Amino acid sequence: MSNSHLFLKSGFPRAPLQNGVGRYVCQLQRLTLKFCKNNGSSRGMRDFIENHLVDFAKENPGIVVYVKPRRHRAPVLVGEYLNGDREWLSVRNSTQTEISKWIDLLKTQNGSSSSLRLRKMWHTDVPSIQGPWTPFLLRSPDAHNQTYPTSEASQPLDVPQTATEKLIELFKQQQLEADTVLEQKRAE
Amino acid sequence: MSLLRSIAGVIALARPINSATTVQTRRHFKRWVSPTLRELAHRVKKQGVQKPEPRSGFVEWNYRSELFAFGKRLNEDFQLPLLQTAFTQRTYAHQEQERQRKLGIAEADLQMGDNSQLATKGVHIAKAYIEAYLQNALPKVPPVGQQAIASYLLSTETLAHVCTHLGAKELIFSTEYPPSSETLAQTLHAIIGALSDSSGVERAFLFVRDFICTQLNQKDLLEIWTPEQPLQLLGEICTQKKLGEPEPRLLGDCGKNTVLAAYHVGIYANRQLLGKGFGEDLQMATETAAIDALQTLFEMHDDRQPFDFRLQLEAKNVRLD
Repeated sequence: MSNSHLFLKSGFPRAPLQNGVGRYVCQLQRLTLKFCKNNGSSRGMRDFIENHLVDFAKENPGIVVYVKPRRHRAPVLVGEYLNGDREWLSVRNSTQTEISKWIDLLKTQNGSSSSLRLRKMWHTDVPSIQGPWTPFLLRSPDAHNQTYPTSEASQPLDVPQTATEKLIELFKQQQLEADTVLEQKRAE
Repeated sequence: MSLLRSIAGVIALARPINSATTVQTRRHFKRWVSPTLRELAHRVKKQGVQKPEPRSGFVEWNYRSELFAFGKRLNEDFQLPLLQTAFTQRTYAHQEQERQRKLGIAEADLQMGDNSQLATKGVHIAKAYIEAYLQNALPKVPPVGQQAIASYLLSTETLAHVCTHLGAKELIFSTEYPPSSETLAQTLHAIIGALSDSSGVERAFLFVRDFICTQLNQKDLLEIWTPEQPLQLLGEICTQKKLGEPEPRLLGDCGKNTVLAAYHVGIYANRQLLGKGFGEDLQMATETAAIDALQTLFEMHDDRQPFDFRLQLEAKNVRLD
């Protein structure tokens, strides 16, 4: 995210009105093509209007297309969406293929994408299916009948071995080794 | 700097034009731009917040195309005069008649229909279908709960939300702009009525399913309807289903006699765990556990199987009054 996007409206990818759960509704409701009849910057737009606009309008009867000629101004695409968004797009010096691609973009998105910064690329209403963790979750069955304070639970978890204990252990080990040596000799 | 520039300008002006044929255009900073913009901004601020302008006031606006596109967008075939009637509010029709009378136009020449009849028809259709749908989708929920969910779906806020997102806001003939949520809700009802008149009541049912019933998708049903006195209700349900007497038992607690006390209570019937819940005291924990048990019995947990919005209800199962 760059500095120019700091004050942009932010949000999550969402389908308005549960679109597609029941039936799909194209969210682009109006498209206005503004262009000049003489200016060179509108040439691609004029080509698009001559060659593709009627087909586009036939294929998409749900989109109202307005064509607005105006003198000596750069060509512009304005899309209006069902959620009230309005997207303004300058197509100065664009060719007709570029313009059809831009119109395809306007047609397939559900709002003005250029005025929204996505906080994440996904969204869910139910972040956890398991539910929140509680201290009672997966508790040991022993803990139910325990009466506190207990001597077991009051012990520290790691009691280091004392020097005396270590000596006793060493002594016992020595005795064991001596016993095994004696037994081996007897066996021989 | 500006002083230097003005001096340069004065010198340039004072210099006699040598070749009278060519006039040199002078380029300089336009120093009027920022004060003008500032003044304009000041005036806008002084005027205060302005009302939004209706889209129909723009030059590029064709009401007939808009009406046609409205139907096509929703994959429906409307009769355009009916659809236009559905968008006309009664107050607006009255206002228009009043205006015609003032202009001296003879009455009964052009009668403008309003949407009140279509709306009453649409109310019947929507209510009947939603009740039938809920009966089918949530069969174990008692009638009180189904009514609560139906009234949520038919509430003015839900309908207004659906209506705005169908793009009806700009098409409505109403005395106020933007139209109020009551107007939007009534218009949606009228659209349903117009659809049933144009292409049959089955299409209207599908419209209700696809645009109103889908509002239940991913909703927590407990937020829409929470049973009052859950323990009592649970007792009744358990006797109905012969599950045995429900009996709350303490599963665990911590922080007793402190501010942060928490109790974990489970509800059993016939030694079977029905539901469990937490609370800051025993009564609240018991109630939460009872609600949890009821949710399981009614199959309205939030991890339930999702609603089936492809459901085809037969028209004879929908009771139209």
